[in-house]
Amino acid sequence: MPTLTIDGQEVTVDAGTTVIQAAEQIGINIPRYCYHPGLSLAGRCRMCLVEIETFPNLQIACYTRAQDEMVVSTTSERVLSARQSMLEFLLSNHPLDCPVCDQSGECDLQNFYMDHGQYQSRFLENKVKKKKAFPIGPHVILDQERCILCTRCVRFTEEVSKSNELGVFNRGSRSVIDLYPTKSLDNPYSGNVIDICPVGALTEREFRFKCRVWYLASQESICTGCSRGCNISLDYNGSRRAYKAGGRRVMRIKPRYNPDINKWWICDEGRFGYGFIDTDRIETPMQRTTSDLEPSDWDPALARVAETVKAAYSEKGANGVGVIVSPQLSNEELLACRELFVEKMKLTNVAALNPWEEPGEADDFLRNADRNPNTKGVEDLGYSGDAKAVLEKAAEGEIEVLIIFRHNLADGEAGKLLEKAKFVVYVGTNWNATAERAHVVLPGATHAEKDGTFTNFEGRVQRFKQALLPIGDSRNDSQIISEMAAKLGYSLPASADEIFEAWKGISLDELSGSGSSVDPDTAVQA
Amino acid sequence: MEYAIDVGKVLFWFSSIMGLASILTWMERKQSAVMQDRIGANRADIFGFRILGLFHIIADSIKMFTKQDFVPAQGNRILHTVAPMIALFFALVGFAAVPFGGTYEIAGYTVSLQVLDLNVGLLFVFAMMSMGIYGFVLGGWASANNYALLGGLRASGQMISYEITMGATVIGTIMVYGTLSLQQMNIAQGELLFGWIPAWGILLQPLGCILFVTAALAETKRVPFDVPEGESEIIGYFVEYSGMRFGMFFLTDFIETVLAAVLTTTLFFGGWQVPYLYAGGFEFPWGGSFELPVVAVMLLQVGAFMAKVFTLCFIFLLIRWTLPRFRWDQLMRLGWTIMLPLSILNIVVTGVVLLIVGN
Amino acid sequence: MAIKVEEKQLTLLERLYVLEVVRGIALTTGHFFRNMAVHIARLFGLAKDKKGSTTFQYPEERRPLAPRLRTLHRLTRREDGAPRCVACMMCETVCPAHCISIVAGEHPNPLIEKYPTRFDIDLGLCVFCGYCVEACPEDAIRMDTGVLEFTSFSREGMVYDLNKLLARSETPKPNEESKVKTA
Repeated sequence: MPTLTIDGQEVTVDAGTTVIQAAEQIGINIPRYCYHPGLSLAGRCRMCLVEIETFPNLQIACYTRAQDEMVVSTTSERVLSARQSMLEFLLSNHPLDCPVCDQSGECDLQNFYMDHGQYQSRFLENKVKKKKAFPIGPHVILDQERCILCTRCVRFTEEVSKSNELGVFNRGSRSVIDLYPTKSLDNPYSGNVIDICPVGALTEREFRFKCRVWYLASQESICTGCSRGCNISLDYNGSRRAYKAGGRRVMRIKPRYNPDINKWWICDEGRFGYGFIDTDRIETPMQRTTSDLEPSDWDPALARVAETVKAAYSEKGANGVGVIVSPQLSNEELLACRELFVEKMKLTNVAALNPWEEPGEADDFLRNADRNPNTKGVEDLGYSGDAKAVLEKAAEGEIEVLIIFRHNLADGEAGKLLEKAKFVVYVGTNWNATAERAHVVLPGATHAEKDGTFTNFEGRVQRFKQALLPIGDSRNDSQIISEMAAKLGYSLPASADEIFEAWKGISLDELSGSGSSVDPDTAVQA
Repeated sequence: MEYAIDVGKVLFWFSSIMGLASILTWMERKQSAVMQDRIGANRADIFGFRILGLFHIIADSIKMFTKQDFVPAQGNRILHTVAPMIALFFALVGFAAVPFGGTYEIAGYTVSLQVLDLNVGLLFVFAMMSMGIYGFVLGGWASANNYALLGGLRASGQMISYEITMGATVIGTIMVYGTLSLQQMNIAQGELLFGWIPAWGILLQPLGCILFVTAALAETKRVPFDVPEGESEIIGYFVEYSGMRFGMFFLTDFIETVLAAVLTTTLFFGGWQVPYLYAGGFEFPWGGSFELPVVAVMLLQVGAFMAKVFTLCFIFLLIRWTLPRFRWDQLMRLGWTIMLPLSILNIVVTGVVLLIVGN
Repeated sequence: MAIKVEEKQLTLLERLYVLEVVRGIALTTGHFFRNMAVHIARLFGLAKDKKGSTTFQYPEERRPLAPRLRTLHRLTRREDGAPRCVACMMCETVCPAHCISIVAGEHPNPLIEKYPTRFDIDLGLCVFCGYCVEACPEDAIRMDTGVLEFTSFSREGMVYDLNKLLARSETPKPNEESKVKTA
């Protein structure tokens, strides 16, 4: 347990800790480009030079282990002048095309230069020309001129994705990052090189030129791509008026550090899977009057659902109404459904899972085959039974009213069964074949538009926060269920916070925080 | 024939006042422009003729007649309609007791150039002027607008304050001439002091004249006494008025200016008197005379009256475009703590002097 | 630190007000008669070199504009005629009125890389602060056209798009710079 002094502050760290990590522990941020906590040490950028007493030369903080009685200075004159010189050197061949660079605004080169740079250029020679702006994979664009050769991306492909597409070629000022021959940066985690690139050399093709980063606001959320429950930040249009971005609100997704689940990474499927939030959304309640679905208001649509449910209920009792909830719903919505349909109405035909769903691709890193974010939640909350049995009963005419949440059950075998159902209510976010076949369509909110929790496959209850207002007329599902219950003569809380508190005994805010998770049974913060 | 003469007098007097008031609307714009090194209204034209922007009077009236006649939804429709009429009526009716010429024997008829020869003419004019307040207060109240109401209240406060000064000032004049009849006052101003100075009010009552003019300006509610209108802050009692109803208020302003000028002329500038001009013609104090027919005398005297009124109007406009507006507290302080004591002092001094001189 | 302002002490004569009123009226009367004399003289074709007023009779007479006056925006062009703008959105960001909206596109030349596919300025919102000109790193937007009149009968007409803004891309000639032009 070495104890060392950094800038006058004493800190005791575990053996083997480097100086840069020790400094981080006491809140001192040493500038760095090549160092990344998730990657091996390279010592390429020389940006993190610090002065250590008893060492004749400046040392790189990322590689130097902390030792007892070390006295480190991160702000001495020598250190500052070294940083300035390093920046001058790194910029000697940098094209300085910040106006067209997507990284500007969150670029470490810009940030550190603002703090330590030498503003008068002394570079009179011609800059080395390299290849600019060419795609190296389905999601990534490379600009070799902007690259400062920190090799974070190379190390990522070697160590994390283990796909080895990138390498450093040529020597001296002509060194470039490039693909190995015949390769393309198309591994399922390729988007992470964009995040770890400290400059604008690797940028996102999807995000390219769509928005400047200073317009973005960010909200903590959970990826809904699979049951892993990776922590993400939803970056959405904050200060820029929505009409200027063509109505697109969520601009990109970035992974959020969680040491227990996804560390710094996220798969490409999750990273680029936000399109459904702004496209093909159901924006108003719809009712089938004669043969077409027509836009309606909440009140008449809910009243019609309640009326039909009541009629079926009085005719056939608890068997007359079938409900298929979804593992896409949050725990709070599942709880509301359970309370209304199972506990209050005592319905016998309540199912959750779709047996026909195609599993996604899985690997031993982040991706799970189960593409729903809350399958574990569905199981934990006591839902059993499968949509097939319920659908069959609906097709036979035993179930008069079928309420489907989220699932698309209009293909193949399910579609044939669904066609025979007498009255279908669809509660969902996006248009699909099931919604188009339903008699009443109620628009729900996506995870970007509501508060709540998902339980990942390991049983971690994780919170996602509301970033946007529900699109159009759509509403949070727990609110829809609460209003439907009111029309049926029951009283149910509408807010996710209330439901969660009744469930776990703590408020959502107490649960929140980067990477916090809760054991679903004991409500103890992990 | 008697009736014809009466109708003729009324028509002449009425059209002179209205004509002068209309011209004042144009004069105000042009005069202020020239004073401020501008050109002023000059765009309205008929077939390209602009004649110094005089057509703006016509353009303005066409505009006012054709604009939407607006009554606020919460306002009182009847009072809102009646208010400008009240204001306009009382401003006009005050002129009836003011003589615009003497009494002449023409072709066997006695023609007195005064619409209503009252022996309490001065009181009548004052009474009518104070009645005019109702128009402004009602207008402000019936608009159901806080600014309008504030304007109306300010108008009533200001007019009451300054009417007292005005009344007290005139007492000195009444004491000097010993009459309430405006015609008698005019006749008295034809006399000569020390045999050669015309006995005009301004010479007998210099302080009274200044106080009266100030108070009369305040009565017209124009700059520097335009707090009730306060066009740059509360806009005033006519904020909810448009079209011709606003036009009536607007015109009342100018008619009151004319009334102030007419009263000042009558009380302090000899009314229709021309120095040394008598019924038979000029008789100069240094000897020598110049005989004139009665009609010529009449025309000269009426012309002199009109010229005096016009000059005073010009001076009033000069004042209006020179001085900045008083603040409300300054206005009240000036009225109650300076002008009122001064006017009472004026009465006392006049009385003492009259006792000593033993008139 | 508060600044203490010494109030000017008025003399008794000034406080009497009447004299000051007379002095003020003398001043305005002086202006009135001097200007009136010039007006009348000019009516008879005299004193052509004097003016009775200091105003400009717009629109017949136009006031010379200061060369630095901020007038209607224009977008400049490169030598090959393409807009100089690289859609960096600095102007959109700095604009306090949110009147600029830009949509960026991929330029086929990787050395230019980014260019505006749309560039709209809503002149109905613009406050003519000139921040966009200050912020532009490429000298692509300027406010030196000398055009002051760009009214429209519709709100849509107040939105100037890329083509309209590029239409005046050439630098105004110095001798024209001082004259008002119609849109």
